[in-house]
Amino acid sequence: MKKVFFRLLVGLFFILPSIWKGAGMGLHAQCDTIASVCAKHIMAPYISDGQQYRALLMAEQNAEFHTTFYGGGTYRIAACTGLKDGNLVFSVYDEERNLLFSNKEYKNAPYWDFKVNSTLDVIIEATLDGAQSGCAVVLIGFKQ
Amino acid sequence: MKKSIFALIPLFVISLSVIITSCGGNNEEEKVDKQINKMIDSNNVALGVSGKMFIIPSPIQTAMLIQKSGAQYDKSMLNETGKVNSYSTKFFQCLNLGIYGADLGYTTLYDQTQDALSYFNVTNKIANDLGLASAFDKNLIERFQKNLGTKDSMLVLVSAAYRASNDFLKHNDRMEEASLIIAGGWIETLNFALNVQKSKGNEDVKRRIADQKNTLNNLISLLSAYQGNEEYVELLQKLNDLKTEYDKVQYKYVFEQPVTDEVTKVTTITSKSDIIISPENIQTISEKVAAIRGLITA
Repeated sequence: MKKVFFRLLVGLFFILPSIWKGAGMGLHAQCDTIASVCAKHIMAPYISDGQQYRALLMAEQNAEFHTTFYGGGTYRIAACTGLKDGNLVFSVYDEERNLLFSNKEYKNAPYWDFKVNSTLDVIIEATLDGAQSGCAVVLIGFKQ
Repeated sequence: MKKSIFALIPLFVISLSVIITSCGGNNEEEKVDKQINKMIDSNNVALGVSGKMFIIPSPIQTAMLIQKSGAQYDKSMLNETGKVNSYSTKFFQCLNLGIYGADLGYTTLYDQTQDALSYFNVTNKIANDLGLASAFDKNLIERFQKNLGTKDSMLVLVSAAYRASNDFLKHNDRMEEASLIIAGGWIETLNFALNVQKSKGNEDVKRRIADQKNTLNNLISLLSAYQGNEEYVELLQKLNDLKTEYDKVQYKYVFEQPVTDEVTKVTTITSKSDIIISPENIQTISEKVAAIRGLITA
């Protein structure tokens, strides 16, 4: 009996991490897929800034991304979750928390452009709209 | 009989785990969502302090500004490709991958095909040394080689390569290396801007130098996570020393309501910011950036 119990414990020791890892890899793969779909919104004349910004969110949680928009530039923010557009709300604030834009007012548009007169630091906030949980991907591009 | 039943338990557990992990179809998303519940906390650690992620702007933006300023191509500003074999530790390889990447972007912007090819080769070499070769698929490398000389395509490809390596490092829990590459790219483009300002003097370039104040603070926060490593001591010391100079840069921001055009999907941010940076400030910043760059590229 002891031997069997020991075998069971050993089995669980090896099996559970692979279940966990499998689930983690599944989440990464899900985020990768979402990022690939989202990338279609950052096309010429916009160049990607070379990074993907991701967050795993639950309902009511939001992710914050802080960056600088340089004066004279035009930027595109694309924000996606899931394989269809329109499920992620993103809002842009200045450092004083004044709301500059929210896609919630525009049917959760998956991307929006920002023409910047003077350099400012911005906060991009992303929240799920309706889903209980999901991978939020934000991409930033700038115009050539 | 009892013995044989108990012996089947491990087999049952294995079978159950196979069933759980192989379940697919319509229940896949639901299953992953449940797993997210458990994964969120550990992944939120990767977001940084209090769930905030600080983004360092792409160095290509500043390189583009420099080109638009009318500054001539200046190869002497770039890190010599011949030094690539002297970077033997991960720390210096990553920093110089960032530097060479910025140099590649610069040569591309100025349509310097031969130099772009040289910098492409050294970035490729360091990427291989760092085990990043699998980040780039064969297609990306072929497109690079095919598009050398085509500026617009090259800029897109440089960004794509940067994103591919960044994603690869993040997926493989190599955030430290990703941070060092970003740091190298930032130092190099700030160095470009300072050199151009010295030789030509341009208001937009001067403004861009001053604009790096907040980015520097974010970069120091990013790298400070690894300050326990001996290699970081001198780099962080010099970055904090640079910060003391940037603290003298005055920044004034006034909010104005932005204007949104729903049809074109464009919001114009009309808020104003004034920044005051003296020539003495710029000179000292230049000396300190040269010292940091010297440490990295020696």
